Amino acid sequence: MPVMETEVLIIGAGVLGAATARELSRYKVDVTLVEKNVDVGWGITKANVGVVCQGRDTLEFRPEYHRTRLLWRALPLMEPLCRELDVPFKKVGAYLMIRDMTKKEKLDKLARRTESLGLGSDTYYPYPELKEREPHISPEIKGGLYDHAIAVVHPVYLTQALVENAVANGVRLMLETEVEDIEAGHTEFRVRTNRGEIKARYVINAAGEWVDRIAAMVNADDFVLFPIKGYVGVLDRNCSELAGSLLAVLPEEPGDMNIVVPTVEGNLLFGIQLQINRRHDRSTTALMARRAIENARKIIPEISEKDVINSFCGYLMFRNFEIGWHECEVAMSARVPRFINMTIGYPGVSASPGAALEVLDILRKDGLALEPNPKFNPYRKDIPDFSMLSEKERKALIRKDPRYGHVVCRCETVTEGEIVEAIRRGATTLDGVKFRVRPGTGRCQGGFCGPRVARILARELGIPETEVTKAGGASQQVPLRTKQLLEEGGGDG
Amino acid sequence: MAERVDVAVIGAGPAGLAAAIAARERGAERVLIVERAEQLGGLLPQCIHNGFGLLYFGRDMTGPEYEKAFIGRAQSLGVEARLETMVIDLDAERGITAVSRRHGYMKFKPGAVVLAMGCRERARGALGIPGTRPAGVMTAGTCQRFVNVEGYMPGSRYVILGSGDIGMIMARRLTLEGAKVEAVVEIMPWPGGLIRNEVQCLHDFGIPLLLEHTVTFIHGEERVEGVTVSRVDAERRPIAGTEKLFPCDCLLISAGLIPENELSRKAGVELDPATGGPVVDQNRQTVVPGIFAGGNVVQVHDLVDWVSWEAEAAGRSAAAYADKGRLKAATGVRVVPGKNIKYVVPQYVSGKDDVTLHMRVERPGLKATVKVGGVLWKRYRTVRPSEMIILEVKGQAMKEAGIKGELVVDCELRGGD
Ligand SMILES: Cc1cc2nc3c(=O)[nH]c(=O)nc-3n(C[C@H](O)[C@H](O)[C@H](O)COP(=O)(O)OP(=O)(O)OC[C@H]3O[C@@H](n4cnc5c(N)ncnc54)[C@H](O)[C@@H]3O)c2cc1C
Ligand SMILES: Cc1cc2nc3c(=O)[nH]c(=O)nc-3n(C[C@H](O)[C@H](O)[C@H](O)COP(=O)(O)OP(=O)(O)OC[C@H]3O[C@@H](n4cnc5c(N)ncnc54)[C@H](O)[C@@H]3O)c2cc1C
Repeated sequence: MPVMETEVLIIGAGVLGAATARELSRYKVDVTLVEKNVDVGWGITKANVGVVCQGRDTLEFRPEYHRTRLLWRALPLMEPLCRELDVPFKKVGAYLMIRDMTKKEKLDKLARRTESLGLGSDTYYPYPELKEREPHISPEIKGGLYDHAIAVVHPVYLTQALVENAVANGVRLMLETEVEDIEAGHTEFRVRTNRGEIKARYVINAAGEWVDRIAAMVNADDFVLFPIKGYVGVLDRNCSELAGSLLAVLPEEPGDMNIVVPTVEGNLLFGIQLQINRRHDRSTTALMARRAIENARKIIPEISEKDVINSFCGYLMFRNFEIGWHECEVAMSARVPRFINMTIGYPGVSASPGAALEVLDILRKDGLALEPNPKFNPYRKDIPDFSMLSEKERKALIRKDPRYGHVVCRCETVTEGEIVEAIRRGATTLDGVKFRVRPGTGRCQGGFCGPRVARILARELGIPETEVTKAGGASQQVPLRTKQLLEEGGGDG
Repeated sequence: MAERVDVAVIGAGPAGLAAAIAARERGAERVLIVERAEQLGGLLPQCIHNGFGLLYFGRDMTGPEYEKAFIGRAQSLGVEARLETMVIDLDAERGITAVSRRHGYMKFKPGAVVLAMGCRERARGALGIPGTRPAGVMTAGTCQRFVNVEGYMPGSRYVILGSGDIGMIMARRLTLEGAKVEAVVEIMPWPGGLIRNEVQCLHDFGIPLLLEHTVTFIHGEERVEGVTVSRVDAERRPIAGTEKLFPCDCLLISAGLIPENELSRKAGVELDPATGGPVVDQNRQTVVPGIFAGGNVVQVHDLVDWVSWEAEAAGRSAAAYADKGRLKAATGVRVVPGKNIKYVVPQYVSGKDDVTLHMRVERPGLKATVKVGGVLWKRYRTVRPSEMIILEVKGQAMKEAGIKGELVVDCELRGGD
């Protein structure tokens, strides 16, 4: 196995690793980003509701918390970042609502605090006015505080864009590369992966769900992570008009996140049902699904399980549970020099641009020379989204490349042109295509386009269709040819 | 500039083909079918089993055979077709926007439109099956396409959720391919498809049918490793303690079809929540003048023969509309589903002309009497939700019975369930 050398090794291409890699690509540093999955953003980042918080929506954003600092640092950065990377960023605004007037006091406190922090001013609307602005909300809602600054992004798109841009600016990306062990030397780390050894001067541990495991490899695990499983449901696009903003009910119990969120695509998400769990197991359960829908109905009674087209679970990895479930850390290990841990249980997406700057500060302080990369180009252009274009733009696109006239996914109106472009930019699996240009995310969930996307993938990658996978590994959609079982005499028992 | 055609048909399945043929035969000059797939025939090219055409042609045919007969007629009548062309918009003035690789961006302004977009299958997400999200979960129709059209097998050991016709037909097909089908699992106390298919596809091959059971968990990381199956109670809730693990590498879902009506919605066509398809009158005209509908887009049929007949009516009416610029809406009498009737199509009739009513019961039963207003009684030995009931009602009889405003259809059961 080959031995590779790099100055900075980032473990994990989630939103935090990606943001850090992209930030580092501004400088003349040799950076390698390793990710065990076949694609980027498929860890916790994928199981997300995409809210860009402003750090003022709960009282727990206390200025003395590290998390709050990172978030506030990130606050002004996200929108310009999305603009540079051509990633959809949608200001939807949020209503933080109450179902019980005794909670009004808490809303007032939040409003006062927002003002005192110089974060603008929020308006309180009693039910009748709220109802005018969001006509589908439950009559049991008493009122709500409007936060105009809340926005949504698609965390996987953001991560892909960050990585794409980082790579364009010189970062080395190694997919399907799993860190198995690390040895900390005096001047360098020897990192053993399934693809050989990597020598690195700095290690940035952004392994999400597995941050503590990676830290334990060098005894930098002087913290405990509490995995809290979160369930999110996705509603059919037919339900889009049920909510125009993020609608949340002020937690009635600790850890109770009851929200309905519009996505950048226009679907609504609802959840988040939280449950302490052992990690890794991302299965959804009937109980979580039921509670989530019951809660969502407390916000919008019209929401029905019939409109749920998908659901998923992910883990919020909390640290320092005892001071609230919020605190996080982006810091160099107190025990292991040049080893930086990044843990943000929530909200890691929102905080990611701030967390990346934090890492740079740490590296700079440690003496890493950060000279500007003269070739750095902050811009990246997104894949055209046929479904969102005007007639004129559509015509022009088809004229340029007729494959944009071939609709492959009917539910989301995704064309062959977009799919081919997604593959060109690194999608190698059905999910890879789906998380770039959406075929299969609609109400038929790939029933119609699945076979067609598989065929395009096989053609573009030059592999047989039996080798096309859903998400890497042994996840082939059609592992066998017809007649194969008969010829092999299998299937008799 | 929008291209002129007399009748535009959206979808080239058996419904679209029959509608186009009927429109030409009724005198429409330029009839155009727009189809997003690579070939004509809709679902039929993948239905290589027999059982088609028994009523229409009086002979047992496969899907491709049935389809060929219609394609031949459409071609000899000079019906035009644009394949690999997707209709992406339809407005209330019948303006059609379509795109394709070959023809680019197109606009049509037809004299009349027939909706024949068929159905889609209900997917895992809609059923909310808990568990992991591995490869190897797909709908039975997708699997059918892979096996019969593309030549691939999604796995070697299957559990099938739902005893719809597609599920049962796939159980047999996969068995013949050398795969093992562990069970067909059905949540209701009765099978969801035709008796014929239950006998020929499951019993004859020794495939267990578990009624009043459902899949309650999907296991597996990269691909399916098994599913948990539980018994359900009378409210169709899983009963704790009855879980059983079925190892398999593939879960097929055959849990119902949903009429594909996104375009209909865009055009302002009213949908019937009971059928999932447009509300139509006896001419198969929707509430939007000049927009007609036929086949599975209106209601999920179990026999293709009825799809063809229904779509012919839509095609004829569309040609008449395109010819005269209008066709009086036959909305004099509303047909109302009564006791144990899930739906009736058409939802409106004139009350003066002869009309064929299609309906489904909610619950199965023995010794049933279907009553149409005070006009018609018909007895059945058995009725089942999976078998459509079809009744001809004479216009004369409705006039004599003085039917005004409403025509209520009831199904009374004298035997037990
Ligand atoms: C249900 C839910 C909803 C959420 N909603 C929001 C929200 O609205 N707004 C918000 O800001 N935040 C939200 N969050 C939190 C946010 O998703 C996380 O804070 C953030 O995604 C964490 O990113 P990460 O990069 O640390 O982790 P990850 O995305 O998990 O990235 C870590 C990566 O490391 C890789 N990796 C792990 N081990 C190894 C190894 N040994 N070798 C190589 N690679 C490895 C993983 O494969 C993974 O890709 C939500 C979280 C959940 C669970
Ligand atoms: C697995 C299976 C087994 C069956 N077995 C039998 C049997 O044994 N005997 C029997 O009599 N019947 C059987 N049937 C029923 C019969 O096949 C269907 O009733 C029939 O295909 C419905 O015809 P349709 O034209 O309404 O819809 P479809 O055949 O679904 O055709 C609809 C067409 O519309 C096209 N379309 C949709 N939207 C657009 C758009 N926006 N732009 C362009 N084109 C569009 C689609 O691509 C499709 O080709 C079976 C059905 C299935 C699924």
